[in-house]
Formats: sequence, C-alpha cells, structure tokens
Amino acid sequence: MEAIDLRRDFRSRSGVRRTSRTVEAVKGVSFAIEPGELFGLLGPNGAGKTTTIKMLITLLLPTSGTARVLGRDVVDDVREVRRRIGYVFGGDRGLYERLSGLDNLRYFSELYGVAPRDQRRRIAELLELVGLTGRERERVEGYSRGMRQRLHIARGLLHDPEVLFLDEPSIGIDPVGARELRATIGALRDQGKTVLLTTHYMFEADELCDRIAVIRAGEIVASGTPAELKRRVSGARVVEVETFGVSDEAVAGLRELSGVESVVVEERDQSRMLIIRCAPDAEVTQPVLARLEGTGVGRVSTREPTLEDAYVELVSGE
Amino acid sequence: MTAALRQLAVCYRLQLRALSTSWFDGPLAIFFPLMFATAALLVYRIHGDEAAMQYAGLGAAVMGMWTCQGVVASSLLQRERWAGTLELVVVAPVSLARVLIPMTSAMATIGIYCVVVTVLWERWVFDLPLQVESWPWFVVSLLMAAATLSLFGYFLSVTVVRYRSSWSLGAALEYPGWLLCGFLVPVDLLPDWLHPLSWAIPTTWAMAAVREAAAGTSPVRDLGVCLVIGVAYAVLAAWLGRRLLESARRHATLALT
Amino acid sequence: MTSLRIFFVGGLMSYRAMFNWLSPWILIPSMVVSPICQVLLFAYIGRSAGVGSDAFYVIGNALNYAAIPCLFAMGATIQGERDGHTLGVVLTSPARRLPLFLGRALPVVVNGWGVAMVGVLAGTLLLGVRIPGSAWPGLLVVVVAASASCTGLGLAMGALALRVRESAVLGNVLFCLLLVFSGVNVARADLPPWMGHVGGWLPLSHAIEAARGVAAGSGLGDVSGLLVRELGVGAIYTAAGLLLLSYFEDESRRRATLERT
Repeated sequence: MEAIDLRRDFRSRSGVRRTSRTVEAVKGVSFAIEPGELFGLLGPNGAGKTTTIKMLITLLLPTSGTARVLGRDVVDDVREVRRRIGYVFGGDRGLYERLSGLDNLRYFSELYGVAPRDQRRRIAELLELVGLTGRERERVEGYSRGMRQRLHIARGLLHDPEVLFLDEPSIGIDPVGARELRATIGALRDQGKTVLLTTHYMFEADELCDRIAVIRAGEIVASGTPAELKRRVSGARVVEVETFGVSDEAVAGLRELSGVESVVVEERDQSRMLIIRCAPDAEVTQPVLARLEGTGVGRVSTREPTLEDAYVELVSGE
Repeated sequence: MTAALRQLAVCYRLQLRALSTSWFDGPLAIFFPLMFATAALLVYRIHGDEAAMQYAGLGAAVMGMWTCQGVVASSLLQRERWAGTLELVVVAPVSLARVLIPMTSAMATIGIYCVVVTVLWERWVFDLPLQVESWPWFVVSLLMAAATLSLFGYFLSVTVVRYRSSWSLGAALEYPGWLLCGFLVPVDLLPDWLHPLSWAIPTTWAMAAVREAAAGTSPVRDLGVCLVIGVAYAVLAAWLGRRLLESARRHATLALT
Repeated sequence: MTSLRIFFVGGLMSYRAMFNWLSPWILIPSMVVSPICQVLLFAYIGRSAGVGSDAFYVIGNALNYAAIPCLFAMGATIQGERDGHTLGVVLTSPARRLPLFLGRALPVVVNGWGVAMVGVLAGTLLLGVRIPGSAWPGLLVVVVAASASCTGLGLAMGALALRVRESAVLGNVLFCLLLVFSGVNVARADLPPWMGHVGGWLPLSHAIEAARGVAAGSGLGDVSGLLVRELGVGAIYTAAGLLLLSYFEDESRRRATLERT
C-alpha cells in the first residue's frame, strides 16, 4: 500500500452569512507499507489519522495526491479496493444493537460477499479468534465495549481481506480488554495480514508496530521503527521539574540555557511539569533551578528518555 | 444472480428481526394510524351508509402501511448514520440499492402486519367485516402495495437524507399521504390540481386495485400502473443514491451525526 | 412583583433554551404543514361522508392540533430541567414555584394558540370557510382557554413522564385520545354514550363546542359555561401535575430517583 502526497481539505460553512473556511486536515502525507507489515500511524486527536484512513478505504476523495492499495488506485478502482480491505473503528457504534453478535456477522458477511458455504465455518473461526464464542447469540446492546470492539474485528475479517485498517481500536477500553485486543492484533500480523493501525496510545504503537509514522496537524513529522524513534531521543537525559505557576517567559529562558535541547510543559491538576531534555553530559539541574528562582518548585528528578518523550516532543513541535 | 438474491433475502430477514424486536417500529407503529382510522370511521358511521363504511374500512386497512413504511423509510439512512453503520455498508462491495431494499422490504412486512391488525380492529370495534369478492386479487393487490411502497420508501430515504432533520420531513408526509392516496377520501373529491400528485404515488393505484379486488372487478390495469411507477422510483433512487455517495466522498458528509 | 418577573422572564428563557435545537426544518413541517394537512384531511372526509360543514372540521382539528405543542413542550421542559440537573433546583428554589412553572407554561400556551390559528386560517383560505368578523375575538379567547387547559394536561403528563420515561409515547397516545374522544371530528352527542362521557373529562371537549358556537354567531356570554368547564378541567390536570411533581421531588430526596437517567 502506498500513499503519495495525500491532501484533504474540508470546507465548512458557519454563521448566518455562510462564510466558508477551508481546513487542511491532511497536508501532503506520504508513506509506503510492505505486505505483512503492521504499520502504525501515531498522533494526537485531530492530527488527521482518521481522515487519512478514510481516504485509503475509499470513503473520502483526496483533494489531491494519489494512493494505491494492493496496486489499485483508491479513487478509480473503488470496488476492487473495497473487496480486499477490512475496516475496523473504535467506539460503541457500528453494529446493529438489536441483533445478536451472530446475526450481525451473518448480515455483514452477506454484504461483504462471503460465499454462503464458507460463512458458517468462517464466522465460527472468527468468533474463536476474538474470544466471543458462547456470547454470539446475545444482543449487541448488552455487549461491553471490549466485546463490541472484538466483534468489530471479527466483522472486519469476515471476507478474509489482505489489508486491514484499524482506526483507534482500543479507545475507551479497560486495560485488561485492551491487552487482549493487542494480542489479537498481533496474531493478525502473524497470519501474514498487512495492517494499518492508527492510535494515540504510544505504548500500543511501540508494542505492536513494525514501523511507525508520527503525524501531527496533517503532516508526518517522523517515521521509522520504534527503535529508530527511540534513538532520536537516546543519548540524552531528561530532567523533570514540578513547578507551581511558572511563567512562559521563564520557560523560554530555560530553552536558552546551554545543554538544554528542549523543554516541554505538561499541565497537571495543581502544577506544571517541565520536561527538559538535555545533552548527555550537560549538568543543567542547577542552572535550571537558578532560572526558576522565585517560582514554586516541587519535585526534581532525572531519568532516561522513553519513546513517550520522543512522541510528545514530536507532536508538540518542540 | 443467485448470490444477489440470497443476499437480499438474508439481509431482509435480519432487518425484519431487528425491527420486530422494538416496540416502536414493530407492534406500536400501528397505533397512530389506527386512531386516525377510528376517528374517520366514527365520522362515516353517523349516516350508517353501508357502502361508505366499506369504502372507509378498506382504505383504513391500507392506511397504516403508509405510516409504517413511507414515513419511517425517510429516516432510514439517517438512522444508519446514527448507528455508525452507514460507513460500513457504504464500504461494502455491494451497491447501496442492495443494502436499502431489504430494509424497506422489512418495513413492508410490518406494513402487511398493520393491515391485518386494522382489519381485525374494524371487525371488533365497528362490527365491520370487510366484504371482498376476490380474495386472491385482494392479496395480490396488498402485496403490490407493500412492494411498491418499499420502493417508494427507498426513493424517499435517498432524497431526504441530505437534511439533518429528515425524520421531521418524513413525519410531515404522513397526513398528505393519507389524503392523497385515496384511503379515506376519493381522489375525485380533491381539487383538480392535487390529482397529479395523487397519481404520482404508486400507493394510490394499489389502493384502487384493492378496491377493485373487493368489488370483484379486475384490478390488472391499476396493478400494472402501480408496478411501473414503483419501478420508476426505484431506478431514480438508484441513480440518486450513486450521486449521493459520490458527493459524500467529496464533501465528507457520511460520518456526521 | 418578583412573582410576575419569574412568571414572564423565567418562562421565556426556559422556552427559548428548549427550542434552541429546533431548526425551521423541524418547526415548519410540524407546526405549520401538519395542522393544515389534518384540517384538510378531515374536512374532505366530512365532505365524502356527507357529514358536517367544513367549518365544523376546521375548528375541531385546528384545536386538536394545538394540543401538540402543549403536550410535548411541557414534557420537554420538565425533561430538559431534569437533563440539565436543574429540576431539583427549580423545584426547591426559593422563588415561588407556582409562578415559576406557570411562567414556563405561558410560552407553551402562546405556541398552542399560534398553531390553532394557523389551522383556522388555513381552513378559511383553502376551504373557503367563512367565520364572521365579529366572532374572531371570541374565538381567540376560546382558543387561549383550550391551549391553557391542554398545557395543564401536558404538565400532568410531563410529571408522569419523569417516572415512566416514555414521554414521546405518552404524548402521542394522549393526542390520539383527544382526537377520538374530544369531539374533534364527531360531535360528542353523536358518539357512543360512554365515549362522550369520557370526553367530558378531557381538555378540548368543551372548548371545541364553545368555539363552534362562537363561529356560528353566539356571543362569548352564551358559551361562558362551556369555557368555565374547560378551564376547570385544565385546572384539575394542572393541580394533578403540580402535586405529582412535588411528590416526586419529595420522594427523590428520599431515594435519589429524580436525577436517575
């Protein structure tokens, strides 16, 4: 699958005089995914992940640029693309509440062209795969979110697509359910399927994906294997300073200190946490505290950077 | 070909199951039109004219179908959107027509149920057993009414979905339909300029066929016209549906609630 | 003085808040097109059956449809207060509760009156119904009385809906009952006796009779008895509604049921 310079603008009209605004949701996104790869599109809410996926699954027309899935163009070859892809999205919606899980699968297997003689076997296999065997005759309205999500995955796999698109599948799921979900997704890759996963959970991307692209405000700001991304921040150290009421000028001043590579501010309930990345050998704690003279300072600690730091840094544009 | 038929059949069966499990879309859907039918019959009852009562009774029987199908169908796509399933059925490799027609047909089945309930109600409350000369033609006409109404419903759902509050527009169709299709008032009594509107609705012709079957005359001509009009709506709806989807792809309107 | 302010301003505020989400696409079909269609439908049924004059059906159905906003708006107001978690506040606020709730009722009554007028005007224009100019003031008064007493019914229904929770169903059922029992399309004298009897205890019955009398030329004085009975029926339902509300409020303080979704 490949995307070449995909763009998507949205025109929204608001107000009494219907003034229109153009929002560039996706600004020139390009990437390529190898067969059998589990590719992660990682980014905060509103970054353009869902829009990108919708362009690839033929639900949206790109404003410009091209994309090909399994060699077929998403704009021209719509039916061929749809036959070979599966689409799974997170959340509560997307199923017929008043039907049982089994009926939902039967319904969608008809729509997605699963041969009648294969349906029963396939549905049973998939229920087994996602761990819903025994619950399939209950109505979906009684399912927990984790169960719905697993039913979604089963639905997405009914017609045995070569490529699977998972749009934030673990959103709103409890930790245990999410872990089972990740195990299922990992198993898919082991079966040889190509998977594009979007998420804003960084650890999920780290655990599951062969390669990750970080997307922010419609553009890809970094891509590579999880190890490569971590290396971008390794060899550095991170100093965390808990402050109460630090001013933005003080933060700006900190950035100018020698040895400081970046400062990210995290808002907590009562305090603002400064996450300062500095060069491996630099001793910045004292100069930082000196600069923060007059501001209330709580805990100060030093640690090794994690992938999360890399991610936060990338998406906040520091 | 058989695959397509099987798909339509299975989807129809499952949609019917979904509809009948809800009180509103199933059993209670008949209540509102039934009450209006009762009110109308109370008016006809005053003079005690047997023929007029039969006329109104037949019309009232089919009236419920218009509500259960025609009106409800207009919010069909809207409800798919709310349920989040609209995107999934659009991404499926079948045409929108093959998705919507089973749904409107399931509604048609509910429509037939409405007819039965009304007939029983009339017998029980008004002591009005319906006199039907030719039962086979009667049944055929009713089925034709249901079938063409489901095609008309398909057309309505595709036309109205652009508007966020399509359910309200659909609800507003209820009374006009009762007036125009000749259920309780002969179409001839209506002002001349309304007649073309009446004739454009397949149900008007189906209703006429039902009356002819009850009277013993041949309903074939009216059934033919009904079928042709119904199919025309279906073709129009298929074309509109394709254009709708294209526009949705361009302007990203599918996911909006 | 404060009571009066609460009455007018508070009522208008909550009414506007509730209708905030209603666009013209919803309002026009339901409050303009539908009443006109109902009037036309039964006028033609009357013509087809050879029963009653056009004016008979115009007045009956216009008033019947006026009940719709009264039934639903009160229910929606109460539901809206509950959804916004302000119902408890409203019921226990130091401002005197009677003017508070009656204030919320006023815009609803005006709404009902508006819908009725649309129906009557449509009948006059489209069917050629003639209502003498002298009758109009009396007609307006009768319609206001009808809307007020339907609002009382709406209040009782809205209170009930707090527990039963299916206010849309209740509203539709009540509307249909009014249609069949209140002499909307059939004079109560022509209904089976038990139905006429039930109708006497429902809003609209007396108002419709009064309105028909006024349209035929009687003065307001002649129909005053009917008007009193109409307002009386409305008052009974209003009282029942307020009693139910304060009962639920007391009960909720003991069992926290008011806020339960």
